[in-house]
Amino acid sequence: MTKPVDLVQGTLDMLILKTLALEPAHGWAIAQRIRQVSKDVLQVRQGALYPALHRLEQQGWIKAEWGESENNRRAKYYSLTKAGRNYLEQEHANWERLSAAIGIVMNTA
Amino acid sequence: MRWLAKARLRLRSLFRRERIGGELSEELEFHLEQAVQEKLAAGLSRVEARHAALRDFGGVEQVREECAEVRRLNWFYDLLEDVRYGLRMLGKSPGFTGVAVLTLALGIGANTAIFSVVYAVLLKPLPYPQPNQLVGVTMAEPEEGIPTNGTSYDDFREWQAQNHVFTEMAGFQSHDLTLTGRGEPLTVETAVITPGLFSLLGVKPIVGRTFFPEDGQEGARAVVVLSENLWRDRFGGDSSVLGTSISLDHKSYTVIGVMPASFDYPPLNSSEPVWIPLLQDPVFGPWMDRKGGHWLRVIARIKPSVSFAGAQAEMDTVGARLAAKSPAENTGWVIRLVPLQRQMVGSMKTALVALLGSVGLVLLIACANVANLLLCRATSRAKEMALRAALGAGRGRIVRQLLTESAVLGLAGGLAGVLLANWGVHGLRSGLPANLPQANTVRLDGSVLAFALGLSILASFLFGLAPTLFAAGADLEAVLKQDVVRSGESGPQRFAREFLAAAEVALAMVVLVGAGLLGRSFLSLTSVRPGFEVENRMKSGVELPLLEYSQPAEWRAFGEGLLRRLQAQPGMHDTAIAVPLPLVDGYINLAFDIVGNPPLRPGASQNADYAAVSPNYFGVMGIPLLRGRWFSEQDRDSSAPVTVISETLAQLYFPNQDPIGRQLSFEFPPRAVTRQEIVGIVGDVRDVGLGQPPGAMMYVPFAQAPFWEAEIVVESNLSAANVAAAIREQVHGMDKDLPVGDVRAMSEAVDRSVQQPRLRTVLVGLFAGIALVLAAAGIFGVMSYSVSRRTHEIGIRMALGASASRVQRLVLTESAKLLLIGLAVGIPAALGLSRLLSNLLFAVRPSDPLTFLGVGVLLIAVGLAASYLPTRRAMRVDPLVALRHE
Repeated sequence: MTKPVDLVQGTLDMLILKTLALEPAHGWAIAQRIRQVSKDVLQVRQGALYPALHRLEQQGWIKAEWGESENNRRAKYYSLTKAGRNYLEQEHANWERLSAAIGIVMNTA
Repeated sequence: MRWLAKARLRLRSLFRRERIGGELSEELEFHLEQAVQEKLAAGLSRVEARHAALRDFGGVEQVREECAEVRRLNWFYDLLEDVRYGLRMLGKSPGFTGVAVLTLALGIGANTAIFSVVYAVLLKPLPYPQPNQLVGVTMAEPEEGIPTNGTSYDDFREWQAQNHVFTEMAGFQSHDLTLTGRGEPLTVETAVITPGLFSLLGVKPIVGRTFFPEDGQEGARAVVVLSENLWRDRFGGDSSVLGTSISLDHKSYTVIGVMPASFDYPPLNSSEPVWIPLLQDPVFGPWMDRKGGHWLRVIARIKPSVSFAGAQAEMDTVGARLAAKSPAENTGWVIRLVPLQRQMVGSMKTALVALLGSVGLVLLIACANVANLLLCRATSRAKEMALRAALGAGRGRIVRQLLTESAVLGLAGGLAGVLLANWGVHGLRSGLPANLPQANTVRLDGSVLAFALGLSILASFLFGLAPTLFAAGADLEAVLKQDVVRSGESGPQRFAREFLAAAEVALAMVVLVGAGLLGRSFLSLTSVRPGFEVENRMKSGVELPLLEYSQPAEWRAFGEGLLRRLQAQPGMHDTAIAVPLPLVDGYINLAFDIVGNPPLRPGASQNADYAAVSPNYFGVMGIPLLRGRWFSEQDRDSSAPVTVISETLAQLYFPNQDPIGRQLSFEFPPRAVTRQEIVGIVGDVRDVGLGQPPGAMMYVPFAQAPFWEAEIVVESNLSAANVAAAIREQVHGMDKDLPVGDVRAMSEAVDRSVQQPRLRTVLVGLFAGIALVLAAAGIFGVMSYSVSRRTHEIGIRMALGASASRVQRLVLTESAKLLLIGLAVGIPAALGLSRLLSNLLFAVRPSDPLTFLGVGVLLIAVGLAASYLPTRRAMRVDPLVALRHE
């Protein structure tokens, strides 16, 4: 049984996981990266980021560690767990399949 | 381990909200500060930058709330999923689930039932306000070995006047009176109290009122308080009974109130008592003027500002003062305070604790069994676990799910256990002694259910630990890759199973030894010869109302007249009367002096049990005459006062002398002090209890010492019904208003006197039986499983030439090893714990070798029997099939 997660939330989760797949980052950096990568199209309400991060942490896809930021301040760094990495790959495959299917449907309409 | 870190995280989330709040704040603050830096770089002022950053962020408080919510929701959803998954898994293997739940139900149910008794009797505070201020005030004579006794009314008044530590004191006694005028004459157990008892205990009646101090003063009208049960039974529960009179022993008492059925003080045998003021009591009222004597039982309430020790110290002073004032009565006596609850419970505590202990051990065995079952299942689910881990479930998640499954199992077992306990409590209640304090409140109430819940959780934890540790520790990848079956079993797993089985054997040993000791003790107790014959003897009782029969001459006339009439009835030639009968009634203990001996030093006393009996009493009771003679018809009031003594009295107080012809002097009210000449010595009887050695006894002829209450004993081949009819007819022929006590066989009455030991023995025996069955099941389970795991190995051995009997020996050695280890641990444990039972044992040592040997042999036999089937299966292994078995 999956928990009731709406589409936007699911997308945000994917984005966070994808971001962290590259390297561990703190919340601010993740927000920046998402803005960067999506070329500002995806405006994530910055506040929405943190509940998502905590949820992903509870589910075990990411883990958190306190560390020092670039400007020597204390910051919470998140990174992917192995389970998270597996999940990401799985979801990525699903997503590919889904978008391919939609593509077919769209193209053959 | 990752799951440990996650568990920490989860716990933090639950319990340290403030810290999380702090950390979260720090995290968000960092984010905001970074945003501010960005805006500053873009040229805004500090203040503007901050505002802009906050705007971009959205509501900070809202975000914090959402994060907290996320943690909570997740936890809840995960739990729900775990529970559902657990239920599904349990449903998939109904056999396993059924056995596990049943095992747990037995363990938890038995514990809950016993706990309900322990709680109601020992633990629950007394149902009076400030119960820890209540104490019993007793007198003790340490030198003579009298630990507790009552006092005289005189001394009671002195205590009241001289103390500064009690808010209130009250005294009581009890005996039977006859209620007439409302239907059949009824014997009513009557509590005789000083008026302050009800206010001391702080209890209220359900209708009417209780006693005022005026009710205990000279010239006051006689009043009575009824119990609710009596009120409903005899008076229709009608409140119009208030103000009307009832007749107790032909004396008129006005009903002024009714106490609720739950009110149980003083603790009596009857559930339908009445309360009357001491002044108005025909039996003890006249004793109020008498100096000395230790008949009035006293309780008190300590002032809130005073400690128990302080109260005891004050009463020590008062006691010393009184002893100095009246040395004859009070020298050597001290005043002892006892917390009321402890006084009421008395010796039951050891028995109850022993019961709770043994039933607790049964639960441990049950948990070990279920743990073993779960371990076996864990092995076969190893692949499932490994797959789940590979698919992304964190190890912590798996562990949590296993624990939840255990909890579901435990709670299911607890629920079934509570149902069993309900049934068990009903049985217990009817078997409990009637005067056990608070026995009427034994039931499954909130505290008992909470105990059951707590036990279920504890049990889940205990048996859930094993498979969980296995799941957490095992290398799941290796499990997937390796062929576990081929290699047999993993080391730690096998060790765990064997450890559990051996532990079960050890625990079962302890419980069985306890049951064995109690059983032997009980057998010894019931085979004790009481000193009188019990076969074909029946007993009954008659009581005369003092108002109508106030003179000893009347008592004598009635008693002798009734005896003659009864003896004239066919088949009832051998009828005697006695006050009291040994063992089945109470006993009367008096101090006596030997005439002609030097006086005793003050404070010392000689005591003997006393009975007034008709001349043929010894014959009817089958008590042998050792020297001299019995009483005869010639021993009348007008002739020389005589007495017959028991062998023990002769040996103790007339060593190397001939007691015959000497005189004893004693006082038994209402007679004054008399000197009775010893004319005979008879055999001892155990008049106090089968477990008590017979003490000194002195008998006097009923004709010389009549009493208004007497027991009738009949030796006859007639049925009890016929005897009852005859007695009733003759009694009513003399006075139609007298009730006749039930006719009961002496053997039954003697059985009643060992009701408590019987109950204990039966219960512990039951638990031992359950423990044995569970342990046998445990051994059977472990051995079967072991054989099935080693099928491959056995196949190889057989293929290499091992005979069936070698295989048999292989398996049996393993089970013998388990049994021996279990015994090696169990025997010292049993030795240590059985010492706690010593005050419950009669004529049996706690280290009784016969019991230990017997139990050991039984366990080995049962263990080997349990291994029989698995051994046969091992011997039947077809090597070809086994070798191909993957």
